[in-house]
This record gives sequence, C-alpha cells and structure tokens, in this order.
Amino acid sequence: MFGRNKSDSDQVLSDMKAKHQRYEALVKAFHADIYRYAFWLIKDQSIAEDVVQETFLRAWRSLDALNDEKAAKSWLITILRRENARRFERKQFDTVDIDDCHIQDDTQHADGELKDRELQRLLGGLSVEYREPLILQLIFGFSGEEIGNQLGLNKNTVMTRLFRARNQLKEALEKQDEQRGRVNG
Amino acid sequence: MDELEFRRRIYADPETTDSDVVEAAKADGNKRSFWNEQKQLDKQLKQALKVDVPEDLASKLIWQQSTDEFNRYKRRSRWYLAMAASVAFAVGIGLTMWYHQPLSIGGQALAHMQYAEMESAHSLLPADLNMVNAKLASFGGSFSEMLDGVEVVNYCHLSTVRSLHLIVNTPQGKMSVFVVPERGDISVPSEFADEQYHGESIKMKHANVMIVGDKDADLSDMKKAVSERIQFSA
Repeated sequence: MFGRNKSDSDQVLSDMKAKHQRYEALVKAFHADIYRYAFWLIKDQSIAEDVVQETFLRAWRSLDALNDEKAAKSWLITILRRENARRFERKQFDTVDIDDCHIQDDTQHADGELKDRELQRLLGGLSVEYREPLILQLIFGFSGEEIGNQLGLNKNTVMTRLFRARNQLKEALEKQDEQRGRVNG
Repeated sequence: MDELEFRRRIYADPETTDSDVVEAAKADGNKRSFWNEQKQLDKQLKQALKVDVPEDLASKLIWQQSTDEFNRYKRRSRWYLAMAASVAFAVGIGLTMWYHQPLSIGGQALAHMQYAEMESAHSLLPADLNMVNAKLASFGGSFSEMLDGVEVVNYCHLSTVRSLHLIVNTPQGKMSVFVVPERGDISVPSEFADEQYHGESIKMKHANVMIVGDKDADLSDMKKAVSERIQFSA
C-alpha cells in the first residue's frame, strides 16, 4: 500500500516537474514576442509588462488546457487580449486615451536608429484596428486567416486593414521625405 | 493584374506567394521594384517593432509562477489548519457554554442561611436606610422606606453573583432578603426550600429579590413590604 502511494506521489511530482518544464519552455520561447505585442498594443512599457505577467500567470494556471504546442502562440495572444480588455473594464476611469500620448520619447530609444524611431512613431500613430493586425503579421508571422481567427474578423477585413495600415505608413513616410526635402532644399 | 490591385495585395502581405501576384511581378519591372521596396520597408518595420524587452522579464515570469504555486499550496494547507481551528473553536464554545450554563442560586441562598444564623453585624452601627441604600445603589436600586427590623446588611456572593444580603428580624422569625442583580447566566427559581428554610423570589425590572425564611414562616408580608418599598432606576 505504501509502495503504491509512494509511486503515486512520485508520479504527481514528475507531472509537476513536467508542467514546470513546459511552462519555462513557453516563457523562454514566447515572452519576448508576447511582450512586444503587448507593448505595441498598449503603447506603455510598464502596463505592457503587467499585462504580460498576468497573461503568463493565467497561462500557468490553465496550462493543462493547452494540448497542442503549435497553438501555444495564439493561445497566449488570446489570453493577453482578454487580460488587456479586462484592464479597460477594471479601470475605465483613470486611463488616458493612449492614442493621444506620444510615448516613444527619445530617452527610451536613444540607442535606436533614427529610422527605427521614425517608424516606431508612425506605428504608434496608427489606430489600433490597423496596428494590431499589422503587428500580428510582423511579429508572429501570422497569415491573414490566422489574424482573422485571432481577432474575430473575416480574412477580407484583415487584408483590407493590413493594406490600409501599410498605405498609411507609406504616405506618412513620403510626406516626411517631402517636408525634409523642402527644409533641406 | 492592374497596378492598384497589385499594390493592395502587396501591402496586405509583402510575403505573399500567391501565383498571380508572382506572375504579375515577373511581367512588370515597376511592380517588381515596388515589391522589393515594400519588402525592404517590412524588414525595417520588423526591426522597429523589436523594442527592448525588460531584461528580467523571463525570470520574473518564472518566479511569479512559483510564488503562485506556493501560495496555492499554502492555501491548501491552510484549509486543514482552518478545519482544526474550527474544531478547537467549537470545543471552546461548547465548554464555555457548559461552564456558563445558568446557575440556579436558590440553593446558594439557602446555604447562606446556615451561617446567616451565626452572622452578627460586622458593623455595630444600626443598619439605617442610608446605609442600605448606599449598598443597594451599586445595583441601581433603593428603598423608599426602611424595612422594619433590619439587623445586618452585607454583600455576599451567591456562587459567582455578588448580591446584597439583608437579615431582618420579623415576627415570623429571622428572614433574609437577597437582592440579586439580573444576569443572563443565572436563573432564580420562584420558590425553593430545604429541610429548614424555604424561599420565594420576586422578579423585578433589573434584579431579583429572594426572601428566605424559616420553613413555616409566612413570607407574604415581607414580600409585600419589599416590593412596595424597593425601586430600581433604569
């Protein structure tokens, strides 16, 4: 009887260990991309970090529900989007309209290339409905269909938004070049 | 494929491998260079999106998971602790209730009679109304008029209840009047007796008065006198 109990608890322990390893692998593989996604979604470093922490905590708690490792990425994104939405439910009152704030200040990215900073500013300036599909595509390499599944949109809507996102970026870049040209010339 | 449609498709997905887009690019150098341009921009965008990740984020995520687990484990063990605490608490309550079950002090009053017989006044001064009232004041009561024949006025304890004991000399023999404050944990029987004495009690607003006399004594006069003369303030 004791023998069996012991092997049962050994089993529990090794299950626990396996779960830990799985979680750590998940963290290592995805934390950077998930954080960047959160950052570009939220446009605030510390809020993004909080949301990522909450996301991984929830992921840990329901890790057993994740059967397919290939789905891990979109599973995490789903949790993160839910956490982010929850944030708005929770504190509707003390949020500022983040689209109005220029968070990409020079100190944060002092070491970044000038071009990077310019693009970052433009990306941050896109409205979230264009920005989100674009970052899903660029960071995670999602197809239009995958983005549609993630955001609950149909593929055509996603493709239109991606087109408009890049179109807006391009136009903004051209406008800047023009202005710069005028100033320099 | 016209220019606009081509741009739409490339803008939507510069990494596309759709054959019609590829064919269109092969056939048209302008389209090809537009596509390359766009691929170049995408590369730059990807680079720009790579903001610095907080250095310790990964370890934080792993650390918070183990704290979460630890807290849950603690919560689980606390369940047993809570159970044990509840049992101990229930036992404690039970014991206290048992300890504090209303004690009947009729018997106590009778026991006091035994040595009331022998008791002589601690003070040689005659008991007067002021003295009685001064002592009775701690129970919130007073006599409007002195009872006849009061010999001794003393506090005494009936079990754990502090009460005022008056020994009164009456035509019916010596009687004792106990003024007992009202308390939730004591019960005063309306009548009680043993071989030698018997007693009756009067329930008043904030106190009980017990009158104990000899077995054959008639207590009704004393009862009447006490209930008429004693009063309790709120």
